[in-house]
Amino acid sequence: MKLALTLVLLLLLLPQTPTGVLRIRVRVKADDAAPLRGLARKRFFLIPGTLEQNRALIDAIERQPLVTRDCYYSKLNASPALIDWLKTGDCESVYCREVEQEFIKAVPEFAAAFAASQKEFGGDDTARKWVTTNLDPEIRDGFYRNRQTAISTLLKQSVVPALSVMTDRNGTAYFTDLAPGTYVLTNLVPTELGQTAISWNCEVQVKQGDLATEKPYLVSNRKDRLVKCVGVEKPIPACN
Amino acid sequence: MILIFLLISIIDYSNFSHATQKHKGECKTCHVVPSKKWSKFPDIVDYPDHAACVNCHRSQFFKGARPPICSVCHSKTSPRDDVRYAFRNPASERQFTIEFPHDKHQDVIARLFTPQKRIDLAHAQQNFNNCTICHASQTKTFKAAPSDHSSCFNCHWKSQQPVAANCNGCHKLAKPYTAATAPTRISIKFVHEGGGEKANHVLECTSCHINITKSASLRGLKPDVPITACTECHNKDGLRQDVSKELAAIDKDRAFACVYCHATDVGSRDAPASHYLIAERPPLKRKDIK
Repeated sequence: MKLALTLVLLLLLLPQTPTGVLRIRVRVKADDAAPLRGLARKRFFLIPGTLEQNRALIDAIERQPLVTRDCYYSKLNASPALIDWLKTGDCESVYCREVEQEFIKAVPEFAAAFAASQKEFGGDDTARKWVTTNLDPEIRDGFYRNRQTAISTLLKQSVVPALSVMTDRNGTAYFTDLAPGTYVLTNLVPTELGQTAISWNCEVQVKQGDLATEKPYLVSNRKDRLVKCVGVEKPIPACN
Repeated sequence: MILIFLLISIIDYSNFSHATQKHKGECKTCHVVPSKKWSKFPDIVDYPDHAACVNCHRSQFFKGARPPICSVCHSKTSPRDDVRYAFRNPASERQFTIEFPHDKHQDVIARLFTPQKRIDLAHAQQNFNNCTICHASQTKTFKAAPSDHSSCFNCHWKSQQPVAANCNGCHKLAKPYTAATAPTRISIKFVHEGGGEKANHVLECTSCHINITKSASLRGLKPDVPITACTECHNKDGLRQDVSKELAAIDKDRAFACVYCHATDVGSRDAPASHYLIAERPPLKRKDIK
């Protein structure tokens, strides 16, 4: 009865809603003993076409070398305290957390930038809040910029513009105003999770008038009957 | 010659336009970054000095006892008074739109956070970065939009482009317009910091504002909270039936106004199809109800 009613409703809505919505929910396990948790604040991309039509892009994704955050910052001789500060928040740049007073003391890079900011801005509060303005650009957001360059390069393989959204704290994200058809859902750059890096490249169908009010499209690194898109996990490479 | 004289004489020098060809030079030609009298943080808090204008407008500067050109910046046009309007003059039309890519900013503020810190998320007093860096609580109901450079320059001061001196990186010349003082709200009764004793509304902003993380520009940005963001709690079996109840009330009285979320003006319109879908009913128009 409920299904029939839903179908009737969808038919009624079809003329008004030619586009569709894709609601994804990304849930991951860092290891077998860990609970499934929502993958928070990671960007996913939706590229029009089938996997086969996007073969060049998929090949490029698989070929790209992965430089982890730890490797990137170790190569820059960043302090262990800074690497740990970034890791705690799973941050790609220093902008993702406010630099609190305790970290001004604990992280040498912040201490040096804070001293420069004090001279430039006077008050301690402004010096702390604006501390990133006196950080070396490579330390500040070099890793993030490298990732963005990699993403831009990959997206050039796609002939049609890609859409992207970021997951919320529960691992949920919505792609809206989608033309009906086939798409490839991908994270383009592998997501680091514990000792592995996960790549997702899956084909998704978007139907006309689908408002995603039913169950979300489940994405995970573990197989399950409800999971529609299972990621490929690879061990994180050692730093060169 | 006469024509030029006539043209000059009809120009309204009390009305400054950045669109004038000779005003389209580099911003630093006139604006000093930061202003001499910045207080809380380095910022552009004042109009350019006289030198910026007088090079070309000497004749207008010394035209009569109250030269119209002075009134661009000065609230009193008198040689004995240098009082100026607030910068920028809130009464004047805006000449620039702002280019702000929410998607890029969402990327850089993205971080992992733990559920225990969830309550901190929507409050201005918090120790990590999220939307509240720019959108602090204005009231319990509304979030504020940035009104100065405080939440821009703390990152974009000097080496992160667009830097403070690169005004054009964010401010794009536009046709003069009057900016809305507040966003249009459909569900005006929603309280961002509400949601009962457990403050269930205090979620991550993007859980409800689902299109923000893909918005590359402020153009076309609209309230984008889907009804499903509300009905996860407000129309769930065994929990609450706020949408279904009000739709049922319309069935009985087509003049009924849905006021649980909306003000009467919005609540008196036909309920959108999405609301009926949530209530698992076919959509209805009020005029069709007998």
